[in-house]
Amino acid sequence: MPESAGVAARQGSPRVNGLSMDEKRTAILAEIPRMRRYARALVRDRDAADDLVQDSLERALSRLDHWRTGDNPRRWLFTIMHHLFVDQMRRNARRGANATLPPEAADNLAAAPSVPESFAVRDIVDALDSISPERRAAILMVAVEGFSYAEAANILGIPAGTLMSRIARGREELRGLLDDAARRRTIRIVEK
Amino acid sequence: MSRRSYTIRDIHMALDGELPPDDREDYEVWLAANPDMKALSVRFAADRARLQGVFAPVLKEAIPERMVMLVATGDTPGRSPLLALLGRVPWRAAAVAAVVVASAGIGYLAGLEEARRAENGNQAIVERALQAHTMYAAEKLHVVEVGADQKDHLVGWLSKRVGTPLVAPDLTAEGFSLVGGRLLPASGKPAAQFMYQDRSGTRISLYVTRDAVNEETGFRLYEEAGRRAFYWLDGGFCYAVAGAVPENTLLSIANAAYRQLLEGIAS
Repeated sequence: MPESAGVAARQGSPRVNGLSMDEKRTAILAEIPRMRRYARALVRDRDAADDLVQDSLERALSRLDHWRTGDNPRRWLFTIMHHLFVDQMRRNARRGANATLPPEAADNLAAAPSVPESFAVRDIVDALDSISPERRAAILMVAVEGFSYAEAANILGIPAGTLMSRIARGREELRGLLDDAARRRTIRIVEK
Repeated sequence: MSRRSYTIRDIHMALDGELPPDDREDYEVWLAANPDMKALSVRFAADRARLQGVFAPVLKEAIPERMVMLVATGDTPGRSPLLALLGRVPWRAAAVAAVVVASAGIGYLAGLEEARRAENGNQAIVERALQAHTMYAAEKLHVVEVGADQKDHLVGWLSKRVGTPLVAPDLTAEGFSLVGGRLLPASGKPAAQFMYQDRSGTRISLYVTRDAVNEETGFRLYEEAGRRAFYWLDGGFCYAVAGAVPENTLLSIANAAYRQLLEGIAS
């Protein structure tokens, strides 16, 4: 697909000037920490999350020509990552595996984490894991990654109204799950 | 006069910065007049802060080398060697800017982090105390390593290993008698466990280990899945009494243990 004249004008001519290509790579490199954060929250298992990022980067690099979102590649990269995540969920659903994890990752999950998580962290991670991937993605896009509703809806390929209802229902669901976790485990200060 | 009526939908929009600027003032008035909605808004904001806090550390992790290599050397072999890419000026400038921004907030964050780490450390200790209790209270034959018949030896041994004068508190007034005790590992440090049981066979245990935080606290009650423990910190040690007994019973046991341990240290 040829690049639009507008993008070419903003970015110079990548095909002629090697520097522009490097700038693209540098910009992508700068997005990796955010991509990893999103992936970690989305799929929980650390290795599975990094695999998702790696696959996304591979796909992005194979289509540098498609990068047409202006100077910041963030939305473009997150869109790629979202598509891969959806593909992965569909594959897992067909296999009948855990909705968000490859089977080998589900095995890892059963083992104790190498670094003990505090209860507060575990509650959040468990709660996130319990809501649907669609709601999880919507909430993370907006609440953690700071995308606007319009950007997030665009990345997820859904109408803004759908995004909003996923966020609203997801937040209600999270609140209930966190309350349940807190009820199971309380710490109170008592007079000595 | 309100420009329009507001709903929970607006709470989400306000939280996510999506409320039209013209509505904001009006929305705040509505929120202030509706305590339930205000509480919900505060709660959603707190949940979001927790969510952000849990995943924020990922941003500071080193990028896996396979990702850097892929992006740096990617799909056009022979071009853009890694070092040339990282050597470019924008990276250094970005790094300097990041350090400046980070150090501005570091004092405040360090204080918060310290408090959070201490709290988590205590929780980890009390969770270990409960785990140890659950594991050994269920034992039929080997509930203790050294029995109550060798009480003096037991107390002397555990005091020496844990590093503070201990006593095996007398809990007969609370209906519990000493079964014995054992030495346990607690993330590399020794921990002492004294096991007690009442006439019906219900068991409670006292757990003592050195704590990195040298502070004094009141009793804190920790509960999980029907099991509970009262724990307190004193002079660089963490003490916990654990058992599946009613809160009041456990509290009077904790009180008795606390008093007698204090006397033991003083004597």
